[in-house]
Amino acid sequence: MKRFLAALFATFPFAAAAQSTSATVGRSTDWIAIGMFVAIVVATLVITYRSAGSTKSKADFYTAGHAITPLQNGLAIAGDFLSAAAFLGISALVYANGLDGFVYALGFLTGWPIVLFLMSERLRNLGSYTFADAAAFRLERTPIRLVAAIGSLVVVLFYLVAQMIGAGKVIELLFGVNYLVAVVSVGILMILYVTVGGMQATTWVQITKAALLLCGGTLLGFAVLSHFDFSVATLFAAASSIHPKGAAILAPGGLFAEPISAISLGLALVFGTAGLPHILMRFFTVKDAAGARKSVFYATSCVAYFSLVIPILGFGAVPILMSDPSYFHVNAAGQFNKITDLIGGTNMAAIHLSGAVGGPVLLGFMSAVAFATILAVVAGLTLAGCSAIGHDIYGQVIAKGRGSDAREVWVSKIAAVGIGILAVLLAYSFENQNVAFMAGLALSVAASCNFPVLAMAIFWRGTTTRGAVSGALAGLFCSVILVILSKTVWVAIFGFKTALFPYENPALFSMPLAFLFIWLFSVTDRSTRATRERTAFDAQFVQSEIGIASAAGTRVLAEATP
Amino acid sequence: MLQVTRDRTQEIIAEPRFQSLASARAKLRWSLSVVTLIMFFGFIALIATARSALGLPVAGLSIPLGLFLAMSMIVVVVMLTGFYVYMSNSRFDELASRLNREFGQ
Repeated sequence: MKRFLAALFATFPFAAAAQSTSATVGRSTDWIAIGMFVAIVVATLVITYRSAGSTKSKADFYTAGHAITPLQNGLAIAGDFLSAAAFLGISALVYANGLDGFVYALGFLTGWPIVLFLMSERLRNLGSYTFADAAAFRLERTPIRLVAAIGSLVVVLFYLVAQMIGAGKVIELLFGVNYLVAVVSVGILMILYVTVGGMQATTWVQITKAALLLCGGTLLGFAVLSHFDFSVATLFAAASSIHPKGAAILAPGGLFAEPISAISLGLALVFGTAGLPHILMRFFTVKDAAGARKSVFYATSCVAYFSLVIPILGFGAVPILMSDPSYFHVNAAGQFNKITDLIGGTNMAAIHLSGAVGGPVLLGFMSAVAFATILAVVAGLTLAGCSAIGHDIYGQVIAKGRGSDAREVWVSKIAAVGIGILAVLLAYSFENQNVAFMAGLALSVAASCNFPVLAMAIFWRGTTTRGAVSGALAGLFCSVILVILSKTVWVAIFGFKTALFPYENPALFSMPLAFLFIWLFSVTDRSTRATRERTAFDAQFVQSEIGIASAAGTRVLAEATP
Repeated sequence: MLQVTRDRTQEIIAEPRFQSLASARAKLRWSLSVVTLIMFFGFIALIATARSALGLPVAGLSIPLGLFLAMSMIVVVVMLTGFYVYMSNSRFDELASRLNREFGQ
C-alpha cells in the first residue's frame, strides 16, 4: 500500500520530472524513429478525423454501423489481439526462457478456434453492442449487465495497464522521454481515437497496425534468418551456446514444468481469449453471423502466422544481443546479466534486435510498429471499457433501455476519459512488471467471469439469473483474490516473503468454481423468474441458430420478452 | 422488438430441417472444440511428463521436437478453423437462411 501511495505521488509531473531517464539507443538514429512515430500518429489522427463525420448514431459509435467487412474485421481483430504482450512480451519470454515463450504463444492462438466454434456466430445472432447483450438475452437485465460490466472493466484495466507499460518503455527507450510523459501521451491519443472517432476510427487504427505488425515481423524475421544463412540449425546452435540456460532453452521447462501451473496458465490463455470484452465486441461490427465467423478465420490466420514468426525473433535475439555488451547495463567490473541487464528490460529484446540486424532504419520502423501496436490495442480496450459503462451500466441498468442514444454515447465518451486517466495512473505504479504476465492475469479474469457466464447463458437451458450472477462473482473474486495472494502481487508488490497461493495463474481454480456456482445456484433456483428464463431458452436457441430478428432487418434488442 | 412468439418458436423447433441443422452444427462445434482442447492440453501434459524428449532434435529437421510439435499445432489450428468455416459456408448457411426466410416474416 505504501508503495502504491508513493507511486501515486510520483505521478505528479513535478516529482516525475526530477527522475533520471534511462539510456537511449544511440542519438543518431532518433530522427528516423521520430519521423516514423510522427507519421503513425498523424495517420491515426487523420483516420480519427475522417471517422468523426460518419460516427453519428449509437450503432456507429459502438460498432461502426455493423458495416465492417469480414476481412477488415479479421485484420482488426488480429490488430486488437496481437498486443504489446504478444509481440514484445512473448518474444521477450522466448529470449529469456526459450521454448516456453513459444508455448505461451501457442496458448494464445488455441483460444481462437474456441472463439470461432462456441462464441462468434451466436454472439452476433443474439446481441448488438456488447457481449452482455447476449448474456442478458433471456436473463434479467440489471444484475446480468452489472456483473458483465464489472467483469469487462476489470479485464480492460488489467490489460490496458500491461499495454501502457509496454508503450512507456518503448518511448522512454527510444527518445529518453520520461516514462510518465510517454504513458500520458498514449493515454491522450487513445482517448482521442475513441471519443472522436468511435469504433470506425478504432477499427482502422487496428487494421493499420495489423498490416504494419505483420510486415514488420516478416521483415525482421527475414533479417534474422539471413543473419544465420537461413539455417535454423545454426540459429539454435548459436542461441543455446551463448544463453545462460544453455541447451535447456530448446526444451520446454520453467513456466510449464509444473503441471498444475501449466494447466492453469493454459486454461487462462485458451478460455480467456473467448472472454475478452474488446475481442467479443468486434463481432458486432460485421453484418451477420456468417461475417463474424469469416472474420475469426482471417484473424486466426494472421495470429497463427505471427506465432510462427515470434520464436524466430526471440531465439534470434539470443546470439545477436547476448554477444554484444553495448545492449546491456554493464557494471564497473565489466560484468552483466545476459537476461535481466538488457537495456530497457527483456521486453525490449525484439526492439534491440531490429537495430542489430537492420540498422537504424529497421530499428526506427520496428519501434514505430511497436508503438502503433500499443495504440491500436489500448484504443480497442478503452472502447470496450467505455461501452460497458455507457451501454451496459448507464443505458441498460440506469436508464433501463429508455434513455436517448445521444446521452448514452455521451456517457460512454466521458467513461473513456475516466478509463484513460485511471490506466495512466496504474501503468505508472506497476512500471516494472512483465507485461505478458499482466495480460495473463487479465485473461484469467476473462476466463473465470465473462466466459462461464456467456457460455452457460448461451448453451445451457437451465441457467438462471441467480446462477449466472453467483458464478460470475465467484469467478471474479476467486481469480482476483488468488492473483493478489500469488507471487506477482503478494511478494513482488506487498513485499511479503512467500506467496500464500503457490501458482502464478488462478484459472484452474477460479474457472471451474464459476461453472460450479452457475450450475448449483441455477438448479436450486425455484422462482417463477427462473421458470420463465428456462422457457425463454427456446426463443434464444432459435435466434442463435438462424438469427431471426437480425436477418429480418429489425434492430435486435437484447432483452427477451417474458 | 421483433421477438418470435412462443407458438412460432415451438413451430420452428419442431421443424425437422431446423432440428437437423441444429444437431449437425452442434456435432461439428463440439467435436472440433474437443479436438482443439485435447491437442493443446495434451501438449501441456507431454511437457510435464516427457520434457527432456521434447528438447531432442527431430531427425533431418535440425529443430527440437517440442518446437516442431508446437509449429505443427499452429498449422493444425488454422486448418481446423478453415474446416469449420468451409463446412458452415457450404452446408449450413443456405439452410439457415432458407429457414430464416420462411419463418422470419
